Amino acid sequence: MDPIQTADSVLNEALDAEKEVKDQNDLSLFYNRFLSKKGKASTLMTLMKEVKAEHKAAFGKKVNEVKASIVSFYEAKKKELEQKELEEKLRKERIDITLPGKGNLLGRKNPFYQIIDEVEDIFVSMGYQIVSGRDVETDHFNFELLNVPKDHPSRDMQDTFYFDAERLLRTQTSAAQAHAMLENAEKTPIKMICPGKAYRRDDDDMTHSHQFAQIEGLVVDKGISLANLKATLELFVKKMFGEKREIRLRSSYFPFTEPSVEVDVSCFSCQGKGCPMCKDTGWIEILGAGMVNPKVLSMCGYDPEVYSGFAFGVGVERVAMLRYGIDDIRRFYQNDVRFLKPFPGK
Amino acid sequence: MKISWKYLQSVLPLENFTPEQVADKLTFAGAEVEGIARMASGDHLVIGKILSCVNHPDSDHLHILQVDEGSEYGVHQIVCGAPNARVGLKVIVAREGANLPKVKIERSTIRGVESDGMCCSLLELGVDAKYLSEAQTSGIEELPEDAPVGESDVLGYLGLDDVIIDFDILPNRPDLYALENIAQEVACLLNLPYKKKEYESPERLEDELLVSSKTPKCPQFDAMRATGLEIAPSPKELSSLLEAEGIRSIDSAVDVGNLVMLLTGQPLNLYDADKLPSQELIVVDDYEGDFLAMDGKTYRLEKGDLVVTSAGVPVCLAGIMTADCARVDSSTKNVLVESANFAYASIRHTSNRLGLSSDSSMRFCKGINPDQASRVEDAAAFYLAKYCHVKSFGSIHSYDTLAHGRKEIRVSLSYINSRLGTSFSLDQVASVLSSDGLEVKEEGETLILGIPSCRIDIEGKADISEEVIRILGYSYVPSTLPFTSLSCQGYTPEQKKEKEIRSFFFGEGVSEVLTYTLVSKKSASCFPYLTDKDPYVLANPMTDEREVVRESLLPSLLEAASYNVARQNKDGAFFEISDVDGKKLTSRRLSFVLFGNKEEQGLLSSRPYDFYDAKGLVQGVLDLLLIQPNRVQIKPWSLGGEEMHPGKSAELTMGKTLLGYFGELHPTCLKKLGLKSAVVGEIDLAALLAMKTSQIKAEAPSKYPSVSRDLAFLIDENVSFEQIQREIKKADKLIESVEIFDLYQGANILFGKKSMAISLTFLDKERTLKDEEIKSLMNKVIALLKQRFGAEVRQ
Repeated sequence: MDPIQTADSVLNEALDAEKEVKDQNDLSLFYNRFLSKKGKASTLMTLMKEVKAEHKAAFGKKVNEVKASIVSFYEAKKKELEQKELEEKLRKERIDITLPGKGNLLGRKNPFYQIIDEVEDIFVSMGYQIVSGRDVETDHFNFELLNVPKDHPSRDMQDTFYFDAERLLRTQTSAAQAHAMLENAEKTPIKMICPGKAYRRDDDDMTHSHQFAQIEGLVVDKGISLANLKATLELFVKKMFGEKREIRLRSSYFPFTEPSVEVDVSCFSCQGKGCPMCKDTGWIEILGAGMVNPKVLSMCGYDPEVYSGFAFGVGVERVAMLRYGIDDIRRFYQNDVRFLKPFPGK
Repeated sequence: MKISWKYLQSVLPLENFTPEQVADKLTFAGAEVEGIARMASGDHLVIGKILSCVNHPDSDHLHILQVDEGSEYGVHQIVCGAPNARVGLKVIVAREGANLPKVKIERSTIRGVESDGMCCSLLELGVDAKYLSEAQTSGIEELPEDAPVGESDVLGYLGLDDVIIDFDILPNRPDLYALENIAQEVACLLNLPYKKKEYESPERLEDELLVSSKTPKCPQFDAMRATGLEIAPSPKELSSLLEAEGIRSIDSAVDVGNLVMLLTGQPLNLYDADKLPSQELIVVDDYEGDFLAMDGKTYRLEKGDLVVTSAGVPVCLAGIMTADCARVDSSTKNVLVESANFAYASIRHTSNRLGLSSDSSMRFCKGINPDQASRVEDAAAFYLAKYCHVKSFGSIHSYDTLAHGRKEIRVSLSYINSRLGTSFSLDQVASVLSSDGLEVKEEGETLILGIPSCRIDIEGKADISEEVIRILGYSYVPSTLPFTSLSCQGYTPEQKKEKEIRSFFFGEGVSEVLTYTLVSKKSASCFPYLTDKDPYVLANPMTDEREVVRESLLPSLLEAASYNVARQNKDGAFFEISDVDGKKLTSRRLSFVLFGNKEEQGLLSSRPYDFYDAKGLVQGVLDLLLIQPNRVQIKPWSLGGEEMHPGKSAELTMGKTLLGYFGELHPTCLKKLGLKSAVVGEIDLAALLAMKTSQIKAEAPSKYPSVSRDLAFLIDENVSFEQIQREIKKADKLIESVEIFDLYQGANILFGKKSMAISLTFLDKERTLKDEEIKSLMNKVIALLKQRFGAEVRQ
């Protein structure tokens, strides 16, 4: 056979063989058959001696072309097989992405703390300090300095846990007011909130708890007015319950403020139209407030002719109950994990 | 307090106002209205007369009545079940279409007999049963024989057409327990003219009567004699008003006493003058003995109780209840009328102790007007003359140690406006205060105000500012944010750190809980390790469960864990940061409890919490507080007790000071709590937050690479990793770190031994380490492990 024809037949043979290659094993057989040292393409050059001199160059070229073609068949096939194998591997590695993620589930935050955190952030952003006060108080700070002398009728309003004649569990975070004022020796302006626990001798039921929390606020400076209190509470209520909220003030009585007011916020559930939450009034009672009673100022070392101030108190559980629709105040203290679940710690 | 709309109408021109409008005004001015109720209600009512009454053929109790409803409505047949239905009786008929509080009346057929309307009891018209006799509640209302048949304003005829506004009185406004002061308040809020009724003093005969007090708790005591009473049932105008106010009508004498109290707020007491052992009334507070009260019960009186005596015999428990021996009854002819002032604390004390309270004691407890005794006696005389036909009154005998005189307050307009942030004019303010019942004089910009004696709440300038804004309305207050010179401080470093710790715990999957401060005595004695064992114990606890102020948060946290486990919530992780107080302890704690399994990929990779979870949390807290590990020690448990597992617990200390502890619970403790497993920790957060920390300094990473080699060995099980780590690190300064990466104990390992694999890192910051050097370092470590711990190194 003419060596040129032989070369062509090797090429054709390789073309056919390439089609039969199905896996890596076939591929290495293909390599051995054509491209290894003794492979059919490699040995074509040995036919050179049978080629006439004037055709040698053409033959050499031919052989190289045939070999290059077969190498490219081989490479293409190899790549194809690798791709197929990779795909197969990826297919086998597929996992169930619907299984739960790893790592810690975020801890939950009792909604009680959520309210305190938010209120703190709002007032800190307004330049208030956070003062904590302590649960165990004296009669002097809890009552006397707040204008509730012994045998004052308003002591009926709050039944107190006593340890002895003088020491008690504070019945209101307002006890921190007197501390803040008395401990401020330079009588510099005060702007503080005091979030904390308070205690009263109430039987625990859906709406009462012997332990509860309040956030007390106090501002004392020269020239503080009721208008300042109103603006502050408006700002607070909008940040806490939404920009559309409004407030209204109703006259009330607290021994430590004069005038005293109850503050209602327009209902955030029905937008003021009337619903069970606001008992169809469109308003929800949210906090008590007032101008610091001059008697309290002077007992706490501030001259009421020079200084004035306002104070307010918010019930933490009440706000949380309203906001989250919590039906029973005892839930805060039971810490049932099912109850805590909707409240991520953040 | 209840206020009768008809009473208000009788003293104020209320033609243009509804009860709802008045209620609204009262609410915003501080007297929060709880409800508006009608005494009775119903329309399509008429007075009828039963013409005939026959038994229903198909019933053992129903009657078939023919009822004459007057010329306008004619005669109708009504089937009625009342036992007292009979011929000739005048009755209230609800005609077809009538709306009664609970039912709408329609023509119907009752057991085959047509019935056109209903004969009513007052109960069916909505009258509270407490005002009705048994006969009235068990049958239809029996109207008097002269009742006008055909009259359709039945409620008006019965005096039941009143509306009652029920409102709360704030503790500083005891004056509102008097109707005439409520009228003053309403007049002022609606800007209506009002003047309190004046009572003329009757002609009085000089008589002998000694009144006195032996105690400062009764600073004032007045009494007068009224002779020749004719006691009878009260007329409708009086009984209706009392009933509207929630007081049952008894007879004309008792009712007059209650009427004067309702009007003026001053409780009166009436004594049957002829029953008194002596014509004297003396108040004492040192009587001891039994007291038979007019309610028929005997009460034990103690020293301190205020008692009115006559010749040493107790005739009245002051302000609360008259003695049975001195009570006014239907045969009484002559009375002594007392108007006194008793210290509210004393009345409250006695009233609470005996569980005995009345409208009268309630008023004393709230505080009464000290300055109206003689006016009250005149009012009593006026109504005794009117309703009991008394012709003759004795003089007013008075014991009085009170200083009287009108209180005066001077206040400037600018004070009021600057306190309120308003810009009211002098005229506006003066007119409001004047309608509030204050006597107003102007002196330039200053108001000189005479305060009525009933307003014991008005003590100073600030109170005047409240009166102004309360009456004009808080909507007059503008909104102006305060300008204060205080620099913005934000959260303190401690507060910030605490927030960071909370975030860390959330990230670790631990939930923040809230528990009670008060615990039982038993709980308070548990986990005493960071306490002084001297807790505050309540003098007046409500229950044993809440008696002591906790000095550790762990009992409460474990209570929360038990609560959950009992509800099939078997897995959980809780923490709480809270103050703790004891008699010698003022601190702040961070405590946690981890119970059941830790879920890392749902239940797929859940595992029980163990000691190392607690240690991880504690180390995390130390890390974020910048407390270097070498400043504190974590030591094996040495404190004993039955709370902590002695082999799986640790103490966090600094020198000799205990800063905290953590670990697994003792099996005995778990059993008590009904828990299968729990890991707890408690840290003295106040102490950690107070520790000084140094500024963080950055360190450039070494230019030269470090080299790591692993080493596995068998070692005695009692040798701790920390010992190995410490010894190896001491061996050469080129040993950068020693970390454990495998630990095995059990099958295929010699008893008493454990298999440990560690990773050593070598580093020279000045140059690259050579292979030979590392080889020799490894040999050094291997030799050390063999010599020091008898370890068998696996090559």
